[in-house]
Amino acid sequence: MTAPLLSVESLCVDYEQRQAAVFGSRVTALRAVNDISFELCEGETLGIVGETGCGKTSLGKAILQLVPPSAGRVVWRGVDLARADSKTLTNLRSELQIVFQDPLSALNPRMPVGEIVAEPLRVHAADMSARERQLAVADMFERVGLRPEMTARYPNEFSSGQCQRISIARAMITRPKLLICDEPVSALDVSVQAQICNLLRELQRETGVAILFISHDLSVLRYMSHRVMVLYLGRLMETAPRDGLFEDPRHPYSRALIDAIPEPNPDTSPLDGSNPLPGEIPSALDPPSGCVFRTRCPIATPECARKRPPGENVSASHIVACHHWRKVRGQ
Amino acid sequence: MAMSALLEVRDLSVRFDVGDAELTAVRGLSLDVAEGECLGVVGESGAGKSQTFLAALGLLAENARATGSVRFQGREILNAPRRELDTLRGRRLAMVFQDPLSGLTSTLRIGRQLEESARRHLGMNARQAREKALDMLKTVRLPHPKRCLDLYPFELSGGMRQRVMIALGMICRPDLLIADEPTTALDVTIKAQILGLLAELRRDANTSIVLITHDLAVAAGLCDRILIMYNGRLVESGTTREVFGAPRHPYTAGLLASLPSLATDPATDLPAIPGQPPDAMATARGCAFAERCKHVMDRCRSERPVLAAHKGRHAAACHLLSP
Repeated sequence: MTAPLLSVESLCVDYEQRQAAVFGSRVTALRAVNDISFELCEGETLGIVGETGCGKTSLGKAILQLVPPSAGRVVWRGVDLARADSKTLTNLRSELQIVFQDPLSALNPRMPVGEIVAEPLRVHAADMSARERQLAVADMFERVGLRPEMTARYPNEFSSGQCQRISIARAMITRPKLLICDEPVSALDVSVQAQICNLLRELQRETGVAILFISHDLSVLRYMSHRVMVLYLGRLMETAPRDGLFEDPRHPYSRALIDAIPEPNPDTSPLDGSNPLPGEIPSALDPPSGCVFRTRCPIATPECARKRPPGENVSASHIVACHHWRKVRGQ
Repeated sequence: MAMSALLEVRDLSVRFDVGDAELTAVRGLSLDVAEGECLGVVGESGAGKSQTFLAALGLLAENARATGSVRFQGREILNAPRRELDTLRGRRLAMVFQDPLSGLTSTLRIGRQLEESARRHLGMNARQAREKALDMLKTVRLPHPKRCLDLYPFELSGGMRQRVMIALGMICRPDLLIADEPTTALDVTIKAQILGLLAELRRDANTSIVLITHDLAVAAGLCDRILIMYNGRLVESGTTREVFGAPRHPYTAGLLASLPSLATDPATDLPAIPGQPPDAMATARGCAFAERCKHVMDRCRSERPVLAAHKGRHAAACHLLSP
């Protein structure tokens, strides 16, 4: 087996929250990512799924050191990024790219979109001539489904779907080795979604880029990923190869997510509101004791409140963190 | 159909002045919303689905002009004076927006925003309005409704904000609720909850719902009838089962095929529709979908197909269906 490009070990991310108190304020820590470990190899796509507040965005940002991890290691091709100096990090950034969730806020509104896409080349390929850059940008525009003559326009002249394509073009133009895609297609129209999924896979086939694909859409995630990791409130619920997770989910949360997969069929759509997972996601400031999922779990027992379930092996590559995983079955 | 039309849109066009150019968002659109029905309006960004209903409600941007006719309960409301619209909007006709953070006033507490609507439209006093507001938050099943009255929108999660938006839309029990992408920003399990809530409100208050969405699955879950829009026009209309079960327009069929599902083979490419939605500036002489259509014929580029029913009420605008 080849050595992993990226290895994340017991990663934790904390945000400090200032809360009003009787006198002044006090600082409490919000743990957004809690003890997450995984490895990612060249040419592989790891899908990360979970709802708001599960830590999937923070995890992506912590890998790139856009937020500092509070514990654990992020080892990129032998270099621990959390302890790397800023020069090393800057140099590595051409290999590590990210596509953000909100396309409009990710683009500078005062810059023509052609410049936006060319900017990573200015930083990381300073020896390129203006003409070469222009050609590369035009080529990239076509590949993400935009017309090259649009390069002189500004972000506000594009729909949010088109803006997302622009940010994907910007991320891909340095031919990165790792692409973190944070909900890259959720803002896109269906027909465009399929194009972008195909495009990301095509790029992966050509360049061997490893992809961390963060999404709440399980059908897209299944299509895109070789392996899947299910998170809830910063914690790992389940991780398995794609087919293992989708055909034999062992965590009640994975089960519920798979059951809620929307289908455009009036007879089988689970979105008729008949049986949604109840309740809201608890606040990460005050997570439930024991298993963080227990407040919404259909099979929770008193044991779940007392003791946090450890990760157990269903098989060598399939790990689940649930006291009752033996009771959960696939379809 | 025995139900009478609650909203009748006839030959509606919406144009925007952008500098010295003109952009057409809606092109001579006609549609009906029947009493008690849930109509899904589906299309990609720029298809004109939101602008159609913003025009109906008199909420278009300054640089937009709407022509045609929109009748609500028999009364012409297109370009009606603001004073007249104000007696309808929020009261009989309400809209829920995609982004609840910008649809709610960020500097006013939740309770205050709900009370304002109750006092203004229902003539309630402060105490009654407070009770009504609390009642609505309970109806939409917001956790800790009493506490939420005193919170600001930013203090709530996305799903909770969307519940507040729906509470605000439903507080006067409108006859028609226009929900513009109400679940787009929400998590899967919360999405199912919000759609369940809309279905329940519709049942209990007999409110008609127009659900504007790009999400075919969301429309399939909630709607009785579906309209598919493309480039400012209707390309297909029919019952949910007709449109999703046996799509007649190549665009609808293409959209359905390009969605990954649990049955999709991850080893194959997704059958994406090539190209992009056309520019609203451009006006094609023929079919607007022609450039992206795999069945394109010469005729498609020169002659625009009209929306015509070929079996029952299931209609599509495509030359393939009328050779």
